[in-house]
Amino acid sequence: MTATPLISVRNLVKEFPVRRGLFTKRQVKVAVDGVSFDIQQGTTFALVGESGSGKTTVGLMVLDLLPPTRGEVLYAGEPIHARKGRERLALRRQMQVVFQDPYASLNARMTVAEALTEGMMIHRIGASARERRERAAELLRQVNLPPEALDRYPHEFSGGQRQRIAIARALSVEPGFIVLDEPTSALDVSVQSQVLNLLRQLQQDLGLTYLFITHNLDVVGYMADEVAVMERGRIVERGTVDEIFDNPQQEYTRRLLAAVPSVEAALR
Amino acid sequence: MTEPLLRVEDLRTYFDTPAGTARAVDGVSFSIAPGETLALVGESGCGKSMTALSILQLVPEPAGYIAGGHVYFQGVDLLDYTWEEMRRVRGADIGMIFQEPMTSLNPVFTIGWQLMEAMAVHGKGRGPDTRRRAVELLTRVGLPEPERLLRQYPHELSGGMRQRVMIAMALANNPKLLIADEPTTALDVTVQKQILELIRELQQDFGMAVLLITHDLGIVAEVSDTVAVMYAGQIVEYATTRDLFRAPAHPYTRALFASRPSRDQRGRDLITIEGIVPQATAWPPACRFAPRCPERWPACENVAPVYQKLASPGEDQTGPAERGVRCHLYHPELARTRPEQPATLEVHP
Repeated sequence: MTATPLISVRNLVKEFPVRRGLFTKRQVKVAVDGVSFDIQQGTTFALVGESGSGKTTVGLMVLDLLPPTRGEVLYAGEPIHARKGRERLALRRQMQVVFQDPYASLNARMTVAEALTEGMMIHRIGASARERRERAAELLRQVNLPPEALDRYPHEFSGGQRQRIAIARALSVEPGFIVLDEPTSALDVSVQSQVLNLLRQLQQDLGLTYLFITHNLDVVGYMADEVAVMERGRIVERGTVDEIFDNPQQEYTRRLLAAVPSVEAALR
Repeated sequence: MTEPLLRVEDLRTYFDTPAGTARAVDGVSFSIAPGETLALVGESGCGKSMTALSILQLVPEPAGYIAGGHVYFQGVDLLDYTWEEMRRVRGADIGMIFQEPMTSLNPVFTIGWQLMEAMAVHGKGRGPDTRRRAVELLTRVGLPEPERLLRQYPHELSGGMRQRVMIAMALANNPKLLIADEPTTALDVTVQKQILELIRELQQDFGMAVLLITHDLGIVAEVSDTVAVMYAGQIVEYATTRDLFRAPAHPYTRALFASRPSRDQRGRDLITIEGIVPQATAWPPACRFAPRCPERWPACENVAPVYQKLASPGEDQTGPAERGVRCHLYHPELARTRPEQPATLEVHP
């Protein structure tokens, strides 16, 4: 591999202090315990694991939304946690996120236009309000929503539509990298397929790089290039989708794969 | 043919809302034999949970009400029961588990108190026997240290453990029917697997029938004998699990199968169902799926399709379930009004 990976995670550790009582000794809970991986430009890297495995915590540290206890994250070869002020802001623009719950992640008091142009204003994209609004309409078109949606509020949309608005908002600052944290877990299957198609389409058109955090292995099989399996804060196994699905090396990975209910069962 | 344990006939549950009458459950019929598992499948808003609540007469009143139909349980119509009589059925002959194990348990009482209360309400009150049975039940659902657990509060347990406690409570009085509404949706897959195995085991041991409500086709495939697919308050397809997965008939069922992501679909666009589930106050007038259906033709928007029996394609027709579908594609005359040959959706089960 000659190219510098877009994202490089090196020995990331996150400890949270836990207090059991007033006079007990301070203890720490190790949520993430020495996680390393690289993501190549334009690919999708999936982080899978069960609740409490630390996958979301890794996502937050990669986004510079949570300081790591130890270790570092490189974006295009440059460490991200060392940056301050304007440099940090510039980096924030490159890295965006879409969360699981489209009902909670959009501000109920902001119109779609406000949600989509807020990031543009912070990052000084677009010369005038009018230009930003035009860009917002274009973003809606990219996620298959009509321009009339601009002046409506989140409650007027279904879960799938809201998730598309959240994706449009992530795209509004022209990022190179998006963390997708369970982006379809709250959606019905017919709507999930619309959102997955959209994410794939956007990746092709814009050359986006994804960190896909999920517990859904069917979605991983469909979307990801590489997979890392997390258990109790550590990556227990890593490989391409085919390697992990066809030839899992670790007992935990095998157990996880075997637990996924399979439609094949009905045909036996 | 054995008398079904539960026979739901033309059940209708409506809600009065500011936007008009919402017909959440609109003419639903199915039956479950003793020991059988029927899966009720569909997306959010299709009426599957409301069907379960209607059977239990737990529809939120006064906005919601049962507008018609029958719910025969062991031959007696539960809809004729008074609230008091119904209280004796719930938790005794019919056990129930809901999706959220945290909200279904009372946070201020210990596990033991709640479990023994569930037994006491339907039995002879509390006694040393009740406690022994509680320990036995917790052991049965695979919970470690049952004696200690009796003294613990819900917040001290993990989601999987709470759901096991809920199952223990649901089974406390050896129900003949278990209604499980998305019992594993909030749980991790490995825990989900254990819970589903547990339900199946208990079913074999006690001959209990299960009405399983889920949106996950994988779970349906793994545990159910028969499947009813719901859309917009109605059952649109009914078949044995095997028949349904081999050859889904209704365009909605086919689309549900085809929209499932998997490794086999990599690099291809997934099949999507255009639009969203309509509002219960404004179901489309004729076929309720027509506005989203890739196969629709004018008849679908003018004539409401009736539920009709279909020949089962399976070679073994031993199952008690007949096969049925609510779609003009299978209507002998109306199907002929279709302009072109059906461009059958490609299905990858």
